Amino acid sequence: MGAHLVRRYVTETETEPDPKKKSQFDPEYGFAERKEREMVATQEQMNLAQLPLEQRDYCAQYLLKLMKCKRDNWPNFLACKHERHDWDYCEHQDYVMRMKEYERERRLQLRKKRIEAQAEAA
Amino acid sequence: MHTTSLMMTSSLITMLLLLAYPVFTTLNPDPRGPDWSLSQVKTAVKLTFFVSLLPLFLFLNEGAEMIVTNWTWMNTLTFDINISFKFDHYSIIFTPIALYVTWSILEFASWYMHSDPYMNRFFKYLLIFLIAMIILVTANNMFQLFIGWEGVGIMSFLLIGWWYGRADANTAALQAVLYNRVGDIGLIFAMAWMATNLNSWEMQQMFTTAKNQDLTFPLLGLILAATGKSAQFGLHPWLPSAMEGPTPVSALLHSSTMVVAGIFLLVRMSPLLENNQTALTLCLCLGALTTLFTATCALTQNDIKKIVAFSTSSQLGLMMVTIGLNQPQLAFLHICTHAFFKAMLFLCSGSIIHSLNDEQDIRKMGGMHHLTPFTSSCLTIGSLALTGTPFLAGFFSKDAIIEALNTSHLNAWALALTLLATSFTAIYSLRVVFFVSMGHPRFNTLSPINENNPAVLNPIKRLAWGSIIAGLLITSNMTPLKTPIMTMPPLLKLAALTVTILGLLLALELASLTNKQFKTTPNLAPHHFSNMLGFFPAVIHRTLPKLNLTLGQTIATQIIDLTWLEKTGPKALTSLNMPLITTTSNAQQGMIKTYLSFFLLMLALTTLLFIL
Repeated sequence: MGAHLVRRYVTETETEPDPKKKSQFDPEYGFAERKEREMVATQEQMNLAQLPLEQRDYCAQYLLKLMKCKRDNWPNFLACKHERHDWDYCEHQDYVMRMKEYERERRLQLRKKRIEAQAEAA
Repeated sequence: MHTTSLMMTSSLITMLLLLAYPVFTTLNPDPRGPDWSLSQVKTAVKLTFFVSLLPLFLFLNEGAEMIVTNWTWMNTLTFDINISFKFDHYSIIFTPIALYVTWSILEFASWYMHSDPYMNRFFKYLLIFLIAMIILVTANNMFQLFIGWEGVGIMSFLLIGWWYGRADANTAALQAVLYNRVGDIGLIFAMAWMATNLNSWEMQQMFTTAKNQDLTFPLLGLILAATGKSAQFGLHPWLPSAMEGPTPVSALLHSSTMVVAGIFLLVRMSPLLENNQTALTLCLCLGALTTLFTATCALTQNDIKKIVAFSTSSQLGLMMVTIGLNQPQLAFLHICTHAFFKAMLFLCSGSIIHSLNDEQDIRKMGGMHHLTPFTSSCLTIGSLALTGTPFLAGFFSKDAIIEALNTSHLNAWALALTLLATSFTAIYSLRVVFFVSMGHPRFNTLSPINENNPAVLNPIKRLAWGSIIAGLLITSNMTPLKTPIMTMPPLLKLAALTVTILGLLLALELASLTNKQFKTTPNLAPHHFSNMLGFFPAVIHRTLPKLNLTLGQTIATQIIDLTWLEKTGPKALTSLNMPLITTTSNAQQGMIKTYLSFFLLMLALTTLLFIL
């Protein structure tokens, strides 16, 4: 559970990726076809809803739907479970994606280190 | 004018008039009747609560927030001070909660303070406090906030020292004022900085002009203000001492409303805080230290009110931790849920204390579950809500805070302290319930124990309902302004629950040991540390006054005397003249050598002058 911290500070200090730095590798490397994520909610929609900056991410369309559902269904505050789940699931997938990107970066760093070690040994 | 804004403005005016009217009736020189407190004050607060629900429902339905500027008070060319009220989602949600809790406490106080000859004055003080608190919460500029801030401080002083014949009560009231004053230094400094650098005290202008400035100094001032008012570590001893006041005072001021004013200030100023990592880290570490320290102190206290007071201080530390996590909305949620169950814990304590003939020591209680089943059940519900039992009120806020703490990239030390404090919360809560409700009675059987007075039961019932459903209601009705991280390993998700259960089991084990006394328990150093409140009051309350008094004594007796007598007065004359006199008279002793030396000196000087 704290494995990433142990790796970063104790065992693999050179190869562990720093989340604050940019990726050293090409995002398309190893993938056949990879397209960039697109925002579904438009700038205008988010401005009208007065979303704070941190909530204007790739899941904003679900949040906008949730806000609309809440406003329409009040006083039934138990109503919008489905929309809430959609937004939470989208955020969860976003989190999983971030973790996968981190893991990809880490494995590419390890691979690079292995290749360099082999080149030196040869 | 648009209907919504019309309704909100008129509810605001109605609320203020309803609350101010009973105060104005006391300006009449004739004393009020014996039922004034119940019929006028409690009814006014109850009506105001229902009126305040209207802006709340408008906000929940439409998202309507308002800023109402009523009167241009002191305006110069460059600086405006107006009377303006901000009805944003913090004040709209907090005001009904504060009024609901106050209504319950006033009803309870009509029973608790029944034998007091000045009950009307007591209710008047509580009402003025409530007005000051609402002014603080709805303030749209720092000046109005300061009026409310000082107002609640003064009323706290008057109410803690209610039984002024008691020396401890006077000391406690003075302590509260002094510690709050130290915090006020921070607030005034922050206000001065904002007036000179941001050129305004209005919140909107402050938030926009502060975008590119380095705000560390005013934020440190605000954090000092919050440390004083919300009893964070360093300025915390006044809160347990404030338990000298009557229980309704403890329930209203020192658990639900006044002590959260410091945290509320930081929540209000959160747009300024969120970009300054230094201030956030300071909040985080200060909050973590406070929550652990005060939870440790609560473990070995024997006065039921002191335990609940330390519990309040610990929860305030948790709110400060949340501010440090840059989650002001979660801190506010905890303020709201905490108000319900903490006020209920105090009311239950007050009911038990009065039933046992003013006995406050938990070692002399016991078995109340059979004697006052309703009160002890509500005590248990309140304690469960406090520890964050799933799906009661405290769970929604406390668990969310601990999850946010677990999934953040911040200080692991603060996390460890907070989790430890969470388990201590479970321990002392169980200790209270065990000593008060369980076991056999350890008091005389002559106390008037009964639960048949609706003035006692109804407030506790209302607050119990609040403790159970408030968390669910508030979280269901509000969309979070910061996306919560919902994905985490199961151990992190269950961390709060696990440490709470561990604490409960440990406390059960320890409490059961008291029934099987094998040997006398030894006096251990950690027990002393906890029981003497970390020796903080013992050291600080003696050192600082002694330093001040010694300084005063040195100045008054030594330095002033030294100055006027020796450096500038008679002795100075002596010390200036003596060398001259000595030299002159030494030269005129009639010694030939001296005269010859002078003669030669003069001859040499005259020769030199002629030559030059």
